[in-house]
Amino acid sequence: MMLSTTTLADSPSILQDWIFGGNAASRAAAQSDAMFLAITWFSIISFVIVIGFAAYCVIKYRRKPGVPVQPSPHHHTLLEIIWTVVPSASLLVFFVLGFRGYADKVVAPANAMELKVDAWKWGWKVTYPNGASSPEQKFLSEQVLNDGLVQQTGLQYPIFYVPEDSDVRLRMHSQDVIHSFWIPEFRTKMDVIPNRYTGYGFRTPKLKAGDTVMHQVDVYPDGSPVLAEVSGRDMWIFCAEYCGDEHSRMAATLRVVPREVFEEKVAEWGRPKSPWLLGQTIWKQQCQICHSIDGKPGTGPTWQGIYGTEGAFADGSTHMRDENYIRESILNPNEKVVAGFAPAMPSFQGSLSEEDLEGLIMFIKSPDRDPTTAGEDGDSAGSEG
Amino acid sequence: MMTTLDTHDSHAHGGSYFDGPPGLLAKIWQWMTTVDHKKIGVMYLFAVLFMFFLGGMAALAVRYELLDPVRTVTELQGTELVESTTGQRLAFLQDIMNAKSPNEVYNRMFTLHGAVMVFMFIVPSIPASLGNFFLPIMLGAKDVAFPRLNLMSWWIYVIGCLIGVFSILLGGVDTGWTFYTPYSTTTDADHYRVVLMVLAAFVLGFSSILTGMNFVVTVHKLRAPGMGWFDMPLFIWALYATSIIQVLATPVIGITLLLLILERTMKIGIFDPSMGGDPVLYQHFFWFYSHPVVYVMILPAMGIISELLAIHARKHIFGYRAIAFSSLGIAAVSFLVWGHHIFTAMGELAAVLFSALTFLVAIPTAIKVFNWVATLYKGSIVLNTPMCYALMFLFTFTIGGLTGLPLATLSTDLHLHDTYYVVAHFHYVMMGGTVIAFMGGIHHWWPKMFGKMYSETGGLIGCALVFIGFNLTFFTQFFLGTQGMPRRYANYVDEFQTLHEISTYGSWILLAGFLVHLVTFIMSLVGGEKASANPWGGLTLEWECESPPIEHNFHHEPIVKHGPYDFESVVPPHCDPKDYPLPQSH
Ligand code: HEC
Ligand SMILES: [Cu+2]
Repeated sequence: MMLSTTTLADSPSILQDWIFGGNAASRAAAQSDAMFLAITWFSIISFVIVIGFAAYCVIKYRRKPGVPVQPSPHHHTLLEIIWTVVPSASLLVFFVLGFRGYADKVVAPANAMELKVDAWKWGWKVTYPNGASSPEQKFLSEQVLNDGLVQQTGLQYPIFYVPEDSDVRLRMHSQDVIHSFWIPEFRTKMDVIPNRYTGYGFRTPKLKAGDTVMHQVDVYPDGSPVLAEVSGRDMWIFCAEYCGDEHSRMAATLRVVPREVFEEKVAEWGRPKSPWLLGQTIWKQQCQICHSIDGKPGTGPTWQGIYGTEGAFADGSTHMRDENYIRESILNPNEKVVAGFAPAMPSFQGSLSEEDLEGLIMFIKSPDRDPTTAGEDGDSAGSEG
Repeated sequence: MMTTLDTHDSHAHGGSYFDGPPGLLAKIWQWMTTVDHKKIGVMYLFAVLFMFFLGGMAALAVRYELLDPVRTVTELQGTELVESTTGQRLAFLQDIMNAKSPNEVYNRMFTLHGAVMVFMFIVPSIPASLGNFFLPIMLGAKDVAFPRLNLMSWWIYVIGCLIGVFSILLGGVDTGWTFYTPYSTTTDADHYRVVLMVLAAFVLGFSSILTGMNFVVTVHKLRAPGMGWFDMPLFIWALYATSIIQVLATPVIGITLLLLILERTMKIGIFDPSMGGDPVLYQHFFWFYSHPVVYVMILPAMGIISELLAIHARKHIFGYRAIAFSSLGIAAVSFLVWGHHIFTAMGELAAVLFSALTFLVAIPTAIKVFNWVATLYKGSIVLNTPMCYALMFLFTFTIGGLTGLPLATLSTDLHLHDTYYVVAHFHYVMMGGTVIAFMGGIHHWWPKMFGKMYSETGGLIGCALVFIGFNLTFFTQFFLGTQGMPRRYANYVDEFQTLHEISTYGSWILLAGFLVHLVTFIMSLVGGEKASANPWGGLTLEWECESPPIEHNFHHEPIVKHGPYDFESVVPPHCDPKDYPLPQSH
């Protein structure tokens, strides 16, 4: 059974589409599909032989009263050798090809762009080589209402940009429990572990003519988004290692875009922001899944109007919620646990810089608007919740 | 010594073990303190079936939640936009279970399903019930080697289950049945439920070890005169291999779970990195037990299939020695493949080694399947319920085995690991293998255990429904997995909905099948026709004693004069030679 996965990868079949949705995004992914397909064909053939023979016997040798069984040998050395050697040899082939495919999937070329991936309960953050990260988010679904307006609903997921047709390497680390970074279209995942770096590499696809995504280019005065079609390709990122309540929400979008677009965006995100804006961005990326700013409690308490008031804690004590308290809550959250909540907050020690903390404090002080830009509504996309 | 039987069973009385003294309490007490392996086997049978029911309910809840995705929909009512959430089908349990969110209800449900099914149902299922009942009889012995130890392991099982159920009644745990660290050491830090559940698994381990030890000694010491190692029925070989794994592997999980409890209660850093531990170490420890235990679950099932196919095809099993030795081979190799559960958390070299070893374990399994199918050749096959279950096993277990190949292959595993593909694969092996064989075995030995026949029509209808329901439920999940659906998700993206729906409907058909079986069994116990000593024409020793067997099994110590599968040369005991014509030439 010498099947060449390379030739199979170049001629995707209907079966392949049917099994995988035909969306392999890289050569390594296509080869992995081909490998799967080769094993599937091997399995189908074996299954038909074995079960077909059983079915034949069941029909042919049905019990008939008064008819004795026909004697047949109780074992057959040649037959037994054949049915040991043939599967063993096939499995050896699968093992070798599987190992080669594995190497293609996990190893990235030395000059690949390195992205730092941070994981925590329950979110992902990708940091680019210039230290910037993406503030953009995507809604799970866009609903067109009866009056033609687009209503964005459901959960929001971060969008991570990567340039088309280039090599990427991931260096991943978790803040708390074990997660797993899976991009189904690259057919690869790797666990993200709290006490060591893990990672893998992939080559992003070239964009084809039909590859477009809906992208928010502006907002209408009433706050609803203006969407336009731009060149790009979106893929899901899922957390594949169970990590608690919002495990199934721990998703993100990987967006492959033309290189110019990518470079422009990353440069833009790299520019310094006002501390409040920085705080708002971090909240959206990392804290929003547990903390609202509109009064609704989530996994953690809301941030609406907490600054400068007394907080009550699980041990019965109270404390003024000032700058120091907020700083401590972020770096060492289990020191004082807010009454009525589980000690479920991960520590962000080591992953947030001094600047980030400053920004967050500014933002918690006044979550609704940026005090430095008087008057104007700071939070334009205020429809979350 | 061990060959002399315990005669302290003062409640023993002649005739069937079913008719007891007056007084319900006296009767219950008599059952609870019995050292008769048959009664212990029957108690285990009802207990594990109850656990199967409990775990099954949780599974139905999981499938029910997944019928549709959770969505926020906005509707324009008049001039106002009204938001509502759809698809949170288990939300009504949130307050009852005192959970933080509907998602947590789901997470506790799948944990409950896994933990109950693995630790309380499938590990003890066949060995402790059918094994306890039939291992001594098939060897021609009066009881297991250590009858009182057997009673003790039953009680340890009961205590373990009670601790687990107690944890569930307090609200349950959301760690997943694997208790992966550091999630399991940090979640619900304000509760003892996780500790209780881990303790339950720890306690249940002892029951497993004691049963295993008992069986090993029984097989070595209590075979009837004339029964050599290669005259043993293959079910015994399978139980023997299983017992060896239980004795060797279970202590490892015991220690691991103990470490987990210590870490949680005393904050000793072993697995939690925030206390200087290593979370992947836990996974190695855990799978070092839990992979061999996969074979604790499947080997006894394979043993049953060997019996069912031979008897109901009235045919000598093909390749007896190959099947016997492949059981031992599987037991040995099973200790070397644990790493394939953690390909995505280990270095390249280790991954390559474990991949190779994993392929190795596939070969003895394949050999067994070939031997079973060859046994059917030129047989005299009757399609009754046990045989239909045996054939169904061949169908589903072969799918289960073959779909394991892409998981052993490194490159494809990186995609399929922790997806619904894995869920489908191991349900084809565990449910399509073990549970199906167990059902076949229960039907096969039902007349012997209870002295009553069951309705063949009822059995066949149940069997057909289980077959359809099972395949609808789980075949769809292979596609979910390859297309990108991770496991343990309370919610999912829209494109997976159709497949999830089919899977959920399948689970209802499956439920219907099991309900039909339940009714059939109850009707058999209440008003079933009396079973003869040897309704199927079997040649193994259990068919030489009465149905149900007398207290010490045999009236006289049996002497073994023919092999367990010599259907072509021996007329089975208690059977009319007219119905069992022997071939003229041999
Ligand atoms: C996994 C959910 C989760 C995430 C993510 C999370 N928190 Fe928390 N947070 C909590 C919980 C639960 C509490 C209350 C218990 C406690 O005090 O530890 C809390 C408490 C707090 C408090 C104290 C609030 C009060 O009312 O006294 C602050 C401040 C805070 N978090 C900041 C943050 C910041 C900043 C981030 C993002 C960088 C963040 N949290 C991310 C769960 C989370
Ligand atoms: Cu996660």
